[in-house]
Amino acid sequence: MLTIKNLHANIDGKEILKGIDLQVNAGEVHAIMGPNGSGKSSLASVLAGRENYEVTEGEVWLDGKNVLDMKPEERAREGIFLAFQYPVEIPGVSNINFLKTALSEIREYHNLPPLTAKEFLKLTKEKQQLVEFDAKLANRSLNEGFSGGEKKRNEIFQLAMLEPKLNILDETDSGLDIDALRIVSNGVNKLRAANNAFVLITHYQRLLEYIVPDVVHVLYDGKIVKSGTKELALELEERGYDWLKEETPVHASSTQ
Amino acid sequence: MATQVATSFYNRLADEFETKHQFTQDTAASDRLTQLRNNAFSIFRAKGFPSIKEEDWRFTNLVPFLDLSFDVHPAGIDTDSLQQAINEQKIPGLDTYQLVLVNGSIRMDLSDLPTEDLVTVQPLRNIINESFFIDHISNNSHVGVNALVALNTAFFSDGYFVEVKKNSVLDKPLLILHLYTSDKDAFFQPRHFIVVNRNAKAEIIERSAGIKDETVTLTNSVLELLIQENAHLVHHTIQSHNNNERWLHYNHVDQQRSSRYDNFTCTLPGADLVRNNLEISLNGTATETHLYGLYLVADHQLTDNHTAIQHLHPSCQSNELYKGVIMDTGKAVFNGKVFVAQDAQQTNAYQQNNNLLLSDKAQVYAKPQLEIFADDVKCSHGCTIGQFNPESLFYLRSRGISETAARKLLVEAFAFDVTEKIDNEAVKQYVQQLIYSKLSSASVRA
Repeated sequence: MLTIKNLHANIDGKEILKGIDLQVNAGEVHAIMGPNGSGKSSLASVLAGRENYEVTEGEVWLDGKNVLDMKPEERAREGIFLAFQYPVEIPGVSNINFLKTALSEIREYHNLPPLTAKEFLKLTKEKQQLVEFDAKLANRSLNEGFSGGEKKRNEIFQLAMLEPKLNILDETDSGLDIDALRIVSNGVNKLRAANNAFVLITHYQRLLEYIVPDVVHVLYDGKIVKSGTKELALELEERGYDWLKEETPVHASSTQ
Repeated sequence: MATQVATSFYNRLADEFETKHQFTQDTAASDRLTQLRNNAFSIFRAKGFPSIKEEDWRFTNLVPFLDLSFDVHPAGIDTDSLQQAINEQKIPGLDTYQLVLVNGSIRMDLSDLPTEDLVTVQPLRNIINESFFIDHISNNSHVGVNALVALNTAFFSDGYFVEVKKNSVLDKPLLILHLYTSDKDAFFQPRHFIVVNRNAKAEIIERSAGIKDETVTLTNSVLELLIQENAHLVHHTIQSHNNNERWLHYNHVDQQRSSRYDNFTCTLPGADLVRNNLEISLNGTATETHLYGLYLVADHQLTDNHTAIQHLHPSCQSNELYKGVIMDTGKAVFNGKVFVAQDAQQTNAYQQNNNLLLSDKAQVYAKPQLEIFADDVKCSHGCTIGQFNPESLFYLRSRGISETAARKLLVEAFAFDVTEKIDNEAVKQYVQQLIYSKLSSASVRA
């Protein structure tokens, strides 16, 4: 589904991604872990098309289409979804109106007619239940006054509504209490399917107890330095990242 | 005479006044009216059109808008287009009474008015010699300080006079449509008067339009409002114009004890020039005033809102929120003055002005101005000028929403603080829909 080849990217002239290679197939869940400043969130941002990143080298393909040529909205319509680490509050834009606009633009892109009001309502109800998202929140302004946990749950609700192919969760577990973590994880587990894939960016092994990954990658200094099974996450939890840093030859003082 | 704008228009008006003077004598103008007009014209003659050397006009240069040989006796009403224009100005889904004026004069044949036990409506020319009218405009119009009001006072011949009867509650809003049409570029100076008597309640929606796209209209209108004791007026002005229209509005509100006045002024992109002067005199205790403004400015347009609230008595509340979105090479001016006299203790006065600039060449000049002479008051003001949050834009786009649609959503969201205050659901939806449809794709793109 997703193929990343030798991806390099800069922000403000500073190289953050230094040659990433990654293959994610349909039906898989990949976890990307790594110390602070290793480039995890940058990778998510580059995939979603955040404009302050400059890709200097490499390729990104989604089902045979060149992602790097696309605007953020085109990537979304092609099926890339980024659950934000810090979802923005947008007072005055209603959550529901926003989702309706997004969904109809995505459907239009795929030459599908917009959902009728009734169909949309039905879908909304169904997905709200699926991810245990409070109907009251759905009718409020987008993320306005939401708690940290409510914002993250709203990301998962949007994900459920838009049914993307490639789901990138950028530290969705950070700031969640145990109950919220369980709800978010249950939502993701219900949404896992043979025709979609998840990339979980996380600091903690805890999330991976709820959502079991097929592959765990360690990102360090802008590169994937180790990949393995879910046991790798446990090992990281136990040993930290230092042993990997020692194993990896690093350019002088290139971490933050 | 340093502030005099030397234009041929000024000279033509001076000539015209002599003729007009003859005319008013012919139609048996009272001595008081004649004296008022002479007085007003001598003020205009001395001051001339406002120039950018005056503080209130620093950022709004009128001279470029006075450049045509405006016809001061416009002729050629295009009757066929009137009905179409009326239909265009109506608010979908809203049942209203309707008062239509063409070139500043009431057209009863196109109007649908409330019964006379609720509201009386008559041409202003019927009452221009009445002492209650002359007393009111002599006391309230600021003829002495505002050259445009003086000019209007010297020349006005007609307009509407709407009086809401004591204790009556209007069962549906009154929509007042001002239509202007002329064969040539034309100058209009209507004068209007609204009185809401004791314990009455009414909602008035005003809209103005120039009907002919090919001729330029310049309108210098003055509206006086008198809100009597314990009365409540909700007053909307929805300005959705076309280019070739230049509007100078002066609205003066006289609020008596325990009265309430809610004003909503929405200016959408379109007219070359809109200058709204809204002055409120709180002439009694325990009044309540809400001013909500929204201005969207695009292309080369200039929209200028000058508001002034005079707190003259104790225990009055005023609350003002104006928000603006400026696109392209548009320019906006906001000047909000709140004056609290020494006697006006226990005043609550709040003012907020927020502006969103959507292009590198958009301009806004914002000036909150508080003058407080009492010592037991709560007053605040705030003013911001900013741009789109790029993070919000990216968030919306990352969900598949095009950049243009995302920008429109964010403009709507910015305007929402104002539109949500409109109680009348049909008006609220209409304004929101106007915002969305009037934002061209080109304008919202930075």
